[in-house]
Amino acid sequence: MAVFPRRRLAAVALAATTALLVTAGCGGGDEQGGDGPVTLTVDVFGQFGYEQLYQEYMAAHPDVKIVERGTGTNLDEYSPKLTQWLAAGRGAGDVVAIEEGLLVEYKANPGNFVNLLDHGAADLKGNFLEWKWNAGLTADGKQLIGLGTDVGGIAMCYRKDLFEKAGLPTERDAVSKLWPTWQDYIATGERFVAAKTGASFLDAATNTFNTILLQTAGNTTGYSYYDTSDKLVVDSNPAVRQAWDTTMDIVDSGLSGKYGSWSEEWVSAFKQSKFATIACPAWMTGVIEGNAGPTAQGRWDIARVPGNGGNWGGSHLAVPKQSKHQAEAIELVKFLTSAKGQIGAFKAKGPLPSSPQALDDPAITGASNAYFSGAPVGTIFGAGAKSLKPVYMGPKNQAVRTEVENAVRTVELGQRNPGQGWTDAVTNAKKAAAK
Amino acid sequence: MTVQLDARPPVAPAPGNQRQSSGRLSRFDTRFSPYLYIAPFFLLFAVFGVYPLAYTFWVSLHDWDLLGTDHPFVGAENYTRLLADVDFWHALVNTLGIFVISTVPQLLAALWLANLLNRGLRARTGWRMAVLVPNVTSTAAVAIVFGVLFGREFGMVNWLLDLVGLDAIEWKSNRFASWVAISAMVDWRWTGYNALILLAAMQAIPRDLYEAAAIDGANRARQFWSVTVPLLKPTIIFCAIIATIGGLQLFTEPRMFHSGTNPIRGGPLRESQTLTMYMFENAFAPHYNFGYGSAVAWLLFALIAIVAAVNVLVLRRLGGGPGPRKGAAR
Amino acid sequence: MSRLWRASPLTYLALVFAAGLSIFPIWWMFVVASRSSDAMGQLPPPITPGGNLGANISRLFDNTDAYFLTGLINSVIVATTVTVSVVFFSSLAGFAFAKLRFRGRNALLLVIIATMMVPTQLGVIPLYLLMTRLHWNDRLPAVIVPVLVTGFGVFMMRQYAGQAISDELIEAARMDGCGTARIWWHVVLPALRPAAAVLGLLTFMTTWNDFLWPYAVLNDPANPTVQLSLRALSDGYYQDMSQVFTGTAIATLPLLLVFVLFGRQIIGGIMEGAVKA
Repeated sequence: MAVFPRRRLAAVALAATTALLVTAGCGGGDEQGGDGPVTLTVDVFGQFGYEQLYQEYMAAHPDVKIVERGTGTNLDEYSPKLTQWLAAGRGAGDVVAIEEGLLVEYKANPGNFVNLLDHGAADLKGNFLEWKWNAGLTADGKQLIGLGTDVGGIAMCYRKDLFEKAGLPTERDAVSKLWPTWQDYIATGERFVAAKTGASFLDAATNTFNTILLQTAGNTTGYSYYDTSDKLVVDSNPAVRQAWDTTMDIVDSGLSGKYGSWSEEWVSAFKQSKFATIACPAWMTGVIEGNAGPTAQGRWDIARVPGNGGNWGGSHLAVPKQSKHQAEAIELVKFLTSAKGQIGAFKAKGPLPSSPQALDDPAITGASNAYFSGAPVGTIFGAGAKSLKPVYMGPKNQAVRTEVENAVRTVELGQRNPGQGWTDAVTNAKKAAAK
Repeated sequence: MTVQLDARPPVAPAPGNQRQSSGRLSRFDTRFSPYLYIAPFFLLFAVFGVYPLAYTFWVSLHDWDLLGTDHPFVGAENYTRLLADVDFWHALVNTLGIFVISTVPQLLAALWLANLLNRGLRARTGWRMAVLVPNVTSTAAVAIVFGVLFGREFGMVNWLLDLVGLDAIEWKSNRFASWVAISAMVDWRWTGYNALILLAAMQAIPRDLYEAAAIDGANRARQFWSVTVPLLKPTIIFCAIIATIGGLQLFTEPRMFHSGTNPIRGGPLRESQTLTMYMFENAFAPHYNFGYGSAVAWLLFALIAIVAAVNVLVLRRLGGGPGPRKGAAR
Repeated sequence: MSRLWRASPLTYLALVFAAGLSIFPIWWMFVVASRSSDAMGQLPPPITPGGNLGANISRLFDNTDAYFLTGLINSVIVATTVTVSVVFFSSLAGFAFAKLRFRGRNALLLVIIATMMVPTQLGVIPLYLLMTRLHWNDRLPAVIVPVLVTGFGVFMMRQYAGQAISDELIEAARMDGCGTARIWWHVVLPALRPAAAVLGLLTFMTTWNDFLWPYAVLNDPANPTVQLSLRALSDGYYQDMSQVFTGTAIATLPLLLVFVLFGRQIIGGIMEGAVKA
C-alpha cells in the first residue's frame, strides 16, 4: 500500500528538481530566438565607453539587441573567465575584448575565433595603425583574430594642488619640462618629498615599472619578457633590466606611497590625496576619475611622460567561433572599431583610437578633458600615437609580468633588497612561464 | 493510487488475514524503502563527492592543460614536481601556521567565554546571540571589511596602534602579521560558536562535582581547571576537529582579505597563500594546469585525512562517539 | 542557583567586551555603508553612521555592471532550493537511519559520518569539468545540485530522530497499517520540526555564504550569486568603497534578520547538538 504515496513523493521530488533545473538556468548567451531580434552579448573589461554607440547601432539595426557584460571588471578577473569560456566551448559573448598582453595567448588557439579575413576585414586594413592591425594577425598571417580598438599612449597625470603645495610649477607645459627623463622625474620627486606635503610623489612602483618597461622596450628591443620567437628573455633583455634599475632608483629615493595598484588602499589613497603623480596610459584617466571621485575634479592635470612616448594597453575585439550569431557580431565589431566608433568611445571614456583617421579627426585633436582641468587629451595622448613602436608580448606575458611586478612590490615594501628582488623576479618568471 | 490508500481499514489490522493480503507490499516496504530514503544522499555523494575525488586523482596523473586538447599521461610527475615546489611547501606552512594560531586562541577564548556565559546572567539569550552573531555573517563580506580594517595606512587597527604609540604593522605583506590578521577573522567568526558548544557541555556537568571540590577547599579557578576542563576534553577535541577540517581548507578569508593585483597569491611573497588558494592558482587563472592543481588537491586531501584520522583515534581513546554534530560547514 | 554560578560585575564587563568585539565589525560595515565614498581612508576612522545609506543603496542597485540585484535573487533561489531539499532528503534518510532496520545500516551510517570529513571542495577541478560536460557552467544548477543533500544534514536528523521519536510511536503507526512513507509524513516529520528548522537555518546560511565553488563555476558576470557580485564590486577596475560596503551590508542583512528572528532556536540547536554527543 504504502508504496504509492512514496512513489508520489518521489515524483514530487523529481518534479521539483526538474523544475528548478529548468527555471534556474537564467542568464548566459543561450537564448536563440527564431525570427525575433538577435541578442548580441559583448564582453569587455574596464571602460570601453560603448554605451552610446550601442544605442546608435541598435537604432540603425532594429533586429539587433546588444547586451554588454563586464564594464568595470578588472582585467585580472576578466581574462580568466574568457579563457574558461573558450575552453568550455560555451559561455563567451558574441563579441569579446582581448587585451594586448593576452593576445598572443589567445592567438595560440586561433580555432576559437572567427577569421575576420574571411568576412571582408582585409578591406579595413587602412583603418588601423599598421602594428595594431598586425597584432591581430596570427603568426602565419592567415587569420585575423580581432580588430583593434584603442592604444594606450602614455602620459603622466598629476595633482596640481599638491604640486602647488610643494612649490612646484603647476601648469602642464612647465610640469612636462620638469622631467625630460626618468632621472629628472626622480629629481622632481625628491624636491616634492622634501617639501613635506603629507603626500607621496607617486602611487606605487609597479605601474611605473610597467610604464618604463614598455617605453624602453618600444624604443629599443621591441619586445619585453619574451623575444619575438617566444623565448623568455626576462634576464637577458636589457630593456627589462633598465626599467628595473630605474624603478629601483625611484624606490630608493623614497618617492613611492606603496599603495598597491588596484587595491582598496590605492583607492583610499586617491580619495585622501595621498600621492601627486601616476603613470597614465590614456585609459587610466577613466580609472582616476572613478577612484578619485567628483570632489577631485579640476585638481588633476596631465603632463608629458618622462622619457620618450610608449604604449601600454589597448585591445582588440574578436568573435568567438562559439557565437551563434557570427555574422551579426562581425558587423558590430566592424562598427565599434571603425574610426567613428573609436571616436565615440574616446569621447565617452577616453581610450585612445588606433585608427589613424580617427586620430586626425578634429573630434580627437581638439578634445579636452574637463575632469583633468581641461587638459587637451587629444593632443597629449594622440600626438605620439602614430609614431608608437609596438612591443611584442609573448605567450605567458601576463603570468610573467605578475611575477616581475610582484618582485618590484617586495622591494618597494622593503621585504627584499633590489638584488634579491631581481633574483626573485627572474626565478619566479621562469617558473611561471614553465607552468 | 489514492483510492487504494483510502481503502485502508480505519482500524489496526488484525493479525492473520489482513497481514497476508498486504504482506507482500509491507514486507517490500520495510525491506527496501530504507534504501530508497537514504539513496538520494549516496547518489549525490557518489556523483559530486566520490567521483570528483577519484577523478581528481586521475587528472593529477596527466599533463592536463585546460586549454589544451590532449592530456598526456605523465604518471607521478605532477607529484614529484610538487614535492620539489617551494611555493607548495610555503603554502603548506602558511596553512598550518594560520591553522595553529587561529585554533589555539580560538579554543581558549571559547572556553573563557563559555565560562562567562555559564553563570546566572540577565538577558541570557541576548548575550549568547551577541557572541554568536559573527557566525551568521557572510564570510566574503566580512573578509572585505577586515581587509579594510587591517589596511596598512588607512586601516583602523594600525590607527589604534598608532594611538597607543606603536608602529604600524604591515598586515598584508608581513607573513606572520597576515597570519594573525586572517586568524583574527577566523576566530571572530568561530569563537562564539565554539563557546556555545562548550557551554552546553559545561551545563551537562553535574553540580555536585563542584560542590565536592568546594568542600575540598578548591577555589573557583581551581575548580575550573580540575573539574570543568577535564570533563570538557571530548568536546574540546571535537571543536578542534571541526576547526581542523575548516582550517586546512581555508580559502575565502585569505582570498578576500587581499585586494589589488593577483589576490589569489595571498600577498607579494605569498605571505598568506593557503593550499586551497595555491590549488586554485594552478588549476585556474593564471596557469590553468588542472593536472598540477589536482595534485595539490590530493596532497591536501591526504593531509586532512591524516589529521582527521589522528583525531578519530584520539576520540576513540577518549571513549566518545562520533562526537557532537558538526556545525554549519565553514 | 548555587553561589558558584553567580555573575559578578566583572563578568558583565568581560561579556560587554566580548560582545563589543563581536558586533563592532558588523556595526562598522553599516557605518561605512551609510557614508559617502569620500570617507574611505579617513583617519580617524568614522564610527557613527552617516546619512548616505539610501543614496548608496540606490547607486548600488543602479550600477548595471555589478548585477547586484541579480546576485541577490540568485542567492535567494539557490539558498532556498538547497534548504528545502536538504531538509526534505535529510529527514527522510535520518528517519531511515534512526528508526528503520535494514541490512548495512551501521556501516552506511559510518560512511555518512566519514563523508562529513571529506573536504569535497577539493573536488572543484573535476566538478568543473563535469559541469562543463553537463553544460551547467555559469548556471545555477551547478551550485545547487551538488549540495541538495548533505551528510551533515542526514546525521543531524538521525541524531534528533533517534531521541525525539519513540519506537512505540512508530510501532503503533505500523500497527495502524501505515507504510514507512506515511509514518515519515504523519509521525516523524512533525516530531522533527524543531531540528528541521535548525537544519534549515544553518543550511540557508551556509549556502548563502558559499564562495569557492560558485567562484570557480559561475563565470558569467551577469549571473552571479550575491557573494560573487560583492567580489566583483571589490575587485573592480575602480572601486566605490561605500558601494562595496553597502553591498556587504545588504548581503549580510538577510542572515542577520534570520538570526534575530530565530536566534533562540539556532542557539538551542547548536547547544542541543553538542550535548547529544
